Amino acid sequence: MRVIMLGAHPDDSEYYAGGTAVKWAASGVDVQIIAISGGDAGHQSEGGGALARRRAEESVRSANVLGVSWRTLDFHDGGVIPSLEVREAVIRAIRDWRADIVISHRPNDYHPDHRYAGMVMQDAAYLVAVPNICPDTPRLEKNPVFMYFLDEFQRPYPFRADVAVDVGDVMKTKYDALHQMDSQMYEWLPWMDGRIDEVPDDDEGRRKWLETYMEPDFLRWTDNHRDALAGRYGDSQAAGAKFSESFELCEYGHQPSRDQLWEMFPR
Amino acid sequence: MSENAKKFEGLKVIMIGAHPDDCELKAGATAALWASQGASVRLMSLTNGDAGHHISGGGALARRRMQESERSAEILGVSSLVLDYHDGELTPSLEVRRDVIRAIRSWQADIVISPRPNDYHPDHRYASMVVADAAYMVLVPNVCPDLPPLEANPVFMYFPDHFRKPAPFSPDVIVDATPAMEKKIRSLDAMDSQMYEWLPWIDRQLDEVPVEPEQRIEYLKKFWKDHFHSSANEFKDLLTQRYGAERADQVNYAEAFELCEYGCQPERNELWEMFPY
Repeated sequence: MRVIMLGAHPDDSEYYAGGTAVKWAASGVDVQIIAISGGDAGHQSEGGGALARRRAEESVRSANVLGVSWRTLDFHDGGVIPSLEVREAVIRAIRDWRADIVISHRPNDYHPDHRYAGMVMQDAAYLVAVPNICPDTPRLEKNPVFMYFLDEFQRPYPFRADVAVDVGDVMKTKYDALHQMDSQMYEWLPWMDGRIDEVPDDDEGRRKWLETYMEPDFLRWTDNHRDALAGRYGDSQAAGAKFSESFELCEYGHQPSRDQLWEMFPR
Repeated sequence: MSENAKKFEGLKVIMIGAHPDDCELKAGATAALWASQGASVRLMSLTNGDAGHHISGGGALARRRMQESERSAEILGVSSLVLDYHDGELTPSLEVRRDVIRAIRSWQADIVISPRPNDYHPDHRYASMVVADAAYMVLVPNVCPDLPPLEANPVFMYFPDHFRKPAPFSPDVIVDATPAMEKKIRSLDAMDSQMYEWLPWIDRQLDEVPVEPEQRIEYLKKFWKDHFHSSANEFKDLLTQRYGAERADQVNYAEAFELCEYGCQPERNELWEMFPY
């Protein structure tokens, strides 16, 4: 099986689905993480090509920790729009990877790049099977399953967890992967949150701090979608689960039954 | 009164409409109330309105509407800014987004108000998308590096509309507009090209428009009567929560706003404190 994750920035897929990626990879699934933008705006004091290069190096290190493949489509950060150019790059990426599952953001996440990444995935969802579109890259014979990453926005409708993955047993690896992304985890994101003063200087201290920094989000994701976890793992494992990642099925593309969908995701 | 006059000193509000008259129609009274209590309010139009007439058009119409907006803003006590995109051609491009980011930053806005993304006019919908696209970016230093980012994310709000899908307008704050209705009507009266020409024409009632200035004002009130009453009627519950039953019963005109999920998310009490009472 082959999975492609289309994050808007280098760190999005890792953050929303790093644990699931590890589990897939460990069970022999080929996972590729695509960053649609190079992330060249995501810093308070660096930017441009220099930042994009730094983030590419971080992402490759992170992908090595997860056991997945990584590449960027190199559009500008803050400049992802649902243009034909981005759409065609995404269609080619999905075809090149011969993906069975494609995952991206919902079109109502907070960041315009996330929203437009979601739209572009939707725009590609039928066209990956159409031979006259991007005729330089062979079409997919089978339409993949398209899924959305989790988010917490309510309008026009809230995220629905169609499948949840208990990732408690691989959280260490997920944190280790995020830990590779210094420019984000220890510089840009805490700066944006007004918490840059909290970040320790030493590597070990940082790795520890990362867990306290990220944990509230990850715990909330699990609390908010414990029902979905219970459906798949039973009440007692669900009740004890601390960390999970959830995904919503997109209405475009292949529509598996619930059991088929659950079979495609790692346990 | 003197306490009231200072209540919003230092508060900066920018309303971003698609056309020169959108903000005035949806929120002119709230704008006037804010301004009279010390807030700095800017009404901005993304297009120059150069398609909004049945006879004139282009640059000539844009110039006329810009002058009308200035007169209207003077009556409301606010600042007016009209960008120069063509009416009927607004798209959620990076170019428009950058102009909006710069406008919000240079006004140092605490509150930004725009249409919802499911209003009837494509320019309204795309104005909404562009403002939503700016909601996070106003904080990012590497985006539009020619202007410093805002230190605090503004509160983003929507104007009301009557469209139901994918979700109906759901007000989070409502303002008794009655004390500023005279000002609102006079600010609209300053927009002849729209109030007495284009809008009656598209509604097929051009021949009902009077010539005399005083009669025109009466006509204007009648033309917009139901529209201006509708928020007070539809959102009576919220009005009662904010003003109490006794005053809510006497409110004829209200202007309502919905909180956007992007940008700063104040508690209801904090939000209500930011709006005129």
